[in-house]
Amino acid sequence: MRGSSLLAECLAVLGKEVTAELRSRVALNAIGLFAITTLVAVAYQIGPYQIAEEDRPHLLAALLWIILFFAATSGLARVFVKEEDSHTAKTLRLAARPTAVFVGKYLFNLVLLLALYAVIVPLFCALMGYAVAGVVGLVLVMVGGAVALAATSTIVAAIISRASGSSTLFAIMSVPLVLPLLVFLIRGTRDAAGSGDLQPVLASLRAIVAYAGVTLITSVGLFRVVWND
Amino acid sequence: MPNPESLIWVAAVTTVIWVGLFVYCIALDRRVRRLEEGQ
Amino acid sequence: MTRKALKIWFPWVLGVWMIVVIVAAFFYAPPAQGFKGESSRIVFFHVPQAWVAVLAFCVNLVASVRYLRRRDPLDDARAAAAARLGLVFSVLATITGSLFARVMWGSFWNWDPREVSIAILLLVYAAYFALREMVPDEERRSTLSAAYAVLAFVTMPFLIFVVPRIYWSLHPDTIISASGQLRFEMESRMRQVFFGSLMGFTGLFAWLYTLDVRLARVRMSRARREEV
Repeated sequence: MRGSSLLAECLAVLGKEVTAELRSRVALNAIGLFAITTLVAVAYQIGPYQIAEEDRPHLLAALLWIILFFAATSGLARVFVKEEDSHTAKTLRLAARPTAVFVGKYLFNLVLLLALYAVIVPLFCALMGYAVAGVVGLVLVMVGGAVALAATSTIVAAIISRASGSSTLFAIMSVPLVLPLLVFLIRGTRDAAGSGDLQPVLASLRAIVAYAGVTLITSVGLFRVVWND
Repeated sequence: MPNPESLIWVAAVTTVIWVGLFVYCIALDRRVRRLEEGQ
Repeated sequence: MTRKALKIWFPWVLGVWMIVVIVAAFFYAPPAQGFKGESSRIVFFHVPQAWVAVLAFCVNLVASVRYLRRRDPLDDARAAAAARLGLVFSVLATITGSLFARVMWGSFWNWDPREVSIAILLLVYAAYFALREMVPDEERRSTLSAAYAVLAFVTMPFLIFVVPRIYWSLHPDTIISASGQLRFEMESRMRQVFFGSLMGFTGLFAWLYTLDVRLARVRMSRARREEV
């Protein structure tokens, strides 16, 4: 009979994830390496001066999100597969409720993504000469993006861990789901960078939040079925 | 009436493709029915 | 009308109906204003295909949800059947849309939001089958693909409704959106052919879907009998 509350279990799973990650640093390395490599490659080839002035806001926003999205894919795909590999999956199933497992892993992914954005976004702006007028708007878009992307990534990672576990399958499955989100994120970033006024950003933000909410609720429900199969 | 020549060709080709697919599907339908009856 | 009789004559009626629709699309309905030459005739085929692709998606969702509830393998067969047809029709819709784009605007692909949403639907179906390929165990395969179908369904509205609202679209305002809402003035003859085509394609989907499910049912009962 479990005496712990759902919240306690979620936090316990989160704690376990953080500890395990700090010990092995696999996901951190994958994400960080990917992000830095693509960033440097892009910055070196394109740099702050190669793109025409009028194209800059949109193109730079798109490039940024391509880098962020693929870095997330490389780092988050193995969130559940690593449990199967290290044979800790069964223990996890016994130790915590499915919802707690999902929320714990989700929060971990969220923290990972936020950390990634905190490092890469300023670096990107500096290297590419991306002048951001509305910093508040940009931060809001980034946070919204992390919340939403972490949600889809976690549930898709769960599904593929019960299938073949390959990262290719992860990419194939996430891309169609995430494309509308990317559209909103790129637009929001572009609007935030373009002006300090929050108004235009709000439309995209609303869509991002709605997307995140819908995905989270559905994922929590679906996870139970996927995990206990 | 629109330009008759090209339209007739396209309509004819479309109809032929449709009839071909339709006949194939009818054959499938027959086979499924035979399987169902064979039960 | 017995079920047996319906099974026999429905396809033939459908066959004749579609031939009439095809001929009417080319000779009975007039070309529309604002389109290049005769290119508006493709609307009679392209839109119903997109509509069937979305319909298949909905049928797949219902079957997937039912499978997650009752774990009846027949529901999984239904979901897979709907997805198969959905894949075929979304490919057809993308191709016809692309051909139309070539005639009207000069290039095969324009990144118009509606074009993109039908292509994404295609990607969803492809991912659905990729997932199914990778899971050897039948029950798990059914559960996972049902879960993915629900997830995909939940994100679709953003693509179909929200994105086009935020973006200007190349798609003529005159064209029906993927959800099937009529937006423009169609001359009465065009309207007749259009709805005739819509009914025909829906009938086609119904027939092929039912066929697939009937085959699955026969296979399942045969397998069950062999077990005994």
